[in-house]
Amino acid sequence: MNNRVRVLKDIFWILSFSGLVAALLRMLFGLGATTNLTDGIPWGLWKVFNMIAGVALSTSGFTVGFLVYVLRLDRFKPYLKPAILIAFLGYGCSCLALLFDIGLPYRFWHPIFMWNINSFLFEVFWCVLLYFTVTAIELAPLIFEGLKAQKLVKFFHGIAFVVVIIGISLSSLHHSSLGSLFLVSPQRLYPLWYSPRLPLLFILSAMGGGIMLLVMVRIIWAKFYNPEPVFGPVSRQETTMIHDSRGLVCAVSSRKEPGFEMPDISRLALIGTGILLIYLLLKITDLVALGTWRELLSGQSESWLYGIELTFGLLLPLVLMLNPRTRNKPVPVGVAAGLAAFGMVFNRLNVGIFGYFRDAEVVYFPSLTEWALGLGVIAAAGLVFLGLAEYLPVFDDKPANAYLRKIKIKSTSTSHQVWNVVLADSLHRVSLLAVFVIPISFILMYPPYRGSEAALIKPSLGVDLQRSILEIDGDRRGYTTTFNHADHQRRLGDTGSCARCHHICVPKDKSTPCFRCHQYMHDSTNIFNHEEHKLFVARDEKLNGWHPENYACEKCHSVGTPRTKNSARDCLECHRENMFLVGEPTKEMKLMYASSFCLAMHENCLACHRQEAVKPEYAHLGECSTCHKTLQRKDREKIVTAEVM
Amino acid sequence: MKVGILIDVTRCVACERCVEACLGRHHIDSSKAMRERSEYNDGLSAYRFCSIIKAAEGRFARKSCMHCLEPSCVSACLVGSLTKTPDGPVVYDTSKCIGCRYCMLACPFHIPRYEWDKLNPLMAKCDMCAERIEKGQIPACVEACPKGALQFGNRDKLLAEAQARIRNNPEGYINHIWGEKEFGGTSVLYISDVDLSMLGWPEYIPRSIPSLTEPLVHSTPFIGMSVAIGLVGLNWIIKRRNKLFEENNPGHAKETENQKDVENE
Repeated sequence: MNNRVRVLKDIFWILSFSGLVAALLRMLFGLGATTNLTDGIPWGLWKVFNMIAGVALSTSGFTVGFLVYVLRLDRFKPYLKPAILIAFLGYGCSCLALLFDIGLPYRFWHPIFMWNINSFLFEVFWCVLLYFTVTAIELAPLIFEGLKAQKLVKFFHGIAFVVVIIGISLSSLHHSSLGSLFLVSPQRLYPLWYSPRLPLLFILSAMGGGIMLLVMVRIIWAKFYNPEPVFGPVSRQETTMIHDSRGLVCAVSSRKEPGFEMPDISRLALIGTGILLIYLLLKITDLVALGTWRELLSGQSESWLYGIELTFGLLLPLVLMLNPRTRNKPVPVGVAAGLAAFGMVFNRLNVGIFGYFRDAEVVYFPSLTEWALGLGVIAAAGLVFLGLAEYLPVFDDKPANAYLRKIKIKSTSTSHQVWNVVLADSLHRVSLLAVFVIPISFILMYPPYRGSEAALIKPSLGVDLQRSILEIDGDRRGYTTTFNHADHQRRLGDTGSCARCHHICVPKDKSTPCFRCHQYMHDSTNIFNHEEHKLFVARDEKLNGWHPENYACEKCHSVGTPRTKNSARDCLECHRENMFLVGEPTKEMKLMYASSFCLAMHENCLACHRQEAVKPEYAHLGECSTCHKTLQRKDREKIVTAEVM
Repeated sequence: MKVGILIDVTRCVACERCVEACLGRHHIDSSKAMRERSEYNDGLSAYRFCSIIKAAEGRFARKSCMHCLEPSCVSACLVGSLTKTPDGPVVYDTSKCIGCRYCMLACPFHIPRYEWDKLNPLMAKCDMCAERIEKGQIPACVEACPKGALQFGNRDKLLAEAQARIRNNPEGYINHIWGEKEFGGTSVLYISDVDLSMLGWPEYIPRSIPSLTEPLVHSTPFIGMSVAIGLVGLNWIIKRRNKLFEENNPGHAKETENQKDVENE
């Protein structure tokens, strides 16, 4: 095995292992804990990149099928097998990623029995399901050829035409429907990408991008395994021997003419280019017809994304392919094919993710787990592809691959040698990789459990009691109500009346705002910090030892009783002096929880207001709007100064 | 009966009684329903289906599911877990949902929210207290409103009521009923003296979203069939052309194949 293939495979294995870990974590901790998806961007990397772009990259299965079976262009026959294999693996890994993306993976079979024929997603589901079966049937002859089951091969060849026709019809449906999925958000998707012609744009770009991916795979395969048919024979005259510093002899060779397969590859790429050209024209017509081209010049981040998609993903490959000097050379064609495939994927990301940022007012960047699973699934598909292509005649290289021939000779001798040559070597590497990659990715991706703990909101500084008018902002969202503190104080009996409203404050604090304890509008809050108390008690009692806080328990919980809230001492036993009590507490209070702001305020204020509202002259005190007249913070200064004066 | 809720923004004082009633009706732990838990200023989350948001200085609007007459989410859900009842509420069958979150993408108002903190999450949104309506009661939020900002009833009567209010006080309201025609009409109607575009109301889209997609999705079987027939026809023509070509030039095909083999070797 040459070194380049080995490195490629190692990368694939690393990605696959980390993907495996990511899949495990996603199943253990759920979608929210492992992904960066939010209510604003509900569709992320797995759905848009793996599913929508992944399926679109696998179109070569039906386009080459169309060329060979329907148009009967026999020169493209050698590309049928790799195309079908790409389609099968592409759909397979898309479905696999989707299984992890849906919130309830164990219900993935629901759409088979529960129908909603109005839904495009339902149509996509069925088409993908059926087409995946179709690719499996199309792939069967290749597998049975490897297994030497000639009768089955013949049977599958017999039904090939019908299967191909079904496959093409299904593909023409779901590749456009993937675009139609986004027709539901005319005012949410950024106008550069939203168009009523999305289905047409999607199927055209998918067909072009799929063929280009096949071309790229063919050229990369040649580069790695058997360069001659594509990159051309090594010209003997120019082979020179060089002695390097270690005394080894290196052959430096140059290739002058591209290989005999290059014209066909170039033709295939030109077909893809033709489709992309139509796509480009349609895209431009769309921009002009909808008047969205102005957005392109607006300098928004979306216009830059669109620019990248258009320049690098469409124009550059088209220029490379249409230039007669570059379109017959393997490297420029490979680059053009790669760029075109990238452009198609980037378009899907734009439509499915980036185009929603402005409307959702959130930015989404996939989490490490999402990247690991998304890339890992593709890497696993790549491994399967390489594995199958090495042992089955996927690529019809006429002068059989030297590497493959070597394997065959050795593997047919004895089973022991098979183990030695094929498995032992790679098994060592793979297990070594697994030992390193799995724990590292586990540590890196272990999720901080999201959502179970509310973020602690820091209370602002104490309210200035000297001020005559207080601004009360219950849920601290900028809507405030003014409370005339001085007026209330005066009416209720001056300084002696504090206890009528104020009950208790936190230790050593004289102007705690109400919401320090009554934090949330509708929630009771835990105001007793047990961990902190352990430390403070240990410090105050001057306890010693390794973990002095562990000896502090019995200072509050009486010895021999279970350590629960009920066995604990009353807070006031310790805090009587520094608690700033305004009056005697009416009932014994453990002070573990403070009621919600809404409740506290209503109990506090409404009790008096209700009494007073009975009097006809104070009837307005019974109305909500008496207190809930709202005020913005910026107006605060104005009112406070006005009232004081 | 097509029911609806009329929301008069000029009457709302943001006391959030409706939110409280909603939490009580759905037995939601209020510690989960904090405003801060939501990713948006609107406060909606999987544990808070109804929220008060600021429409303008001193003006508040209740935001919750609009219960569109032709709901986009119902059309989008691939397993049909969302349905519009004959009464009007859009309800959600949790036993069918697979968690694809297409409803969240499809809703023009950003209403569906997801239980991101759960291992087996579901979508959550207002159901207009469909069970209560079936029993002849009115939705909990409407019942709780102390200022009459929310009004429940027959949608047509509510429309007439809204028009009457605007007619009687033309200076106090903008002459527009949000929800009358937008997105094909919604069961929840708004009248206001300030602009309500922050609720997700577009400038003016009179067409419902399903009307954009459903004709297309219904045509797909025919497109698929015609593609298949076209392909077979095309193949037949090409086959025949090849055959005629071979008959006219006997031995040509074989020769080229042989030539190719020779070239390759």
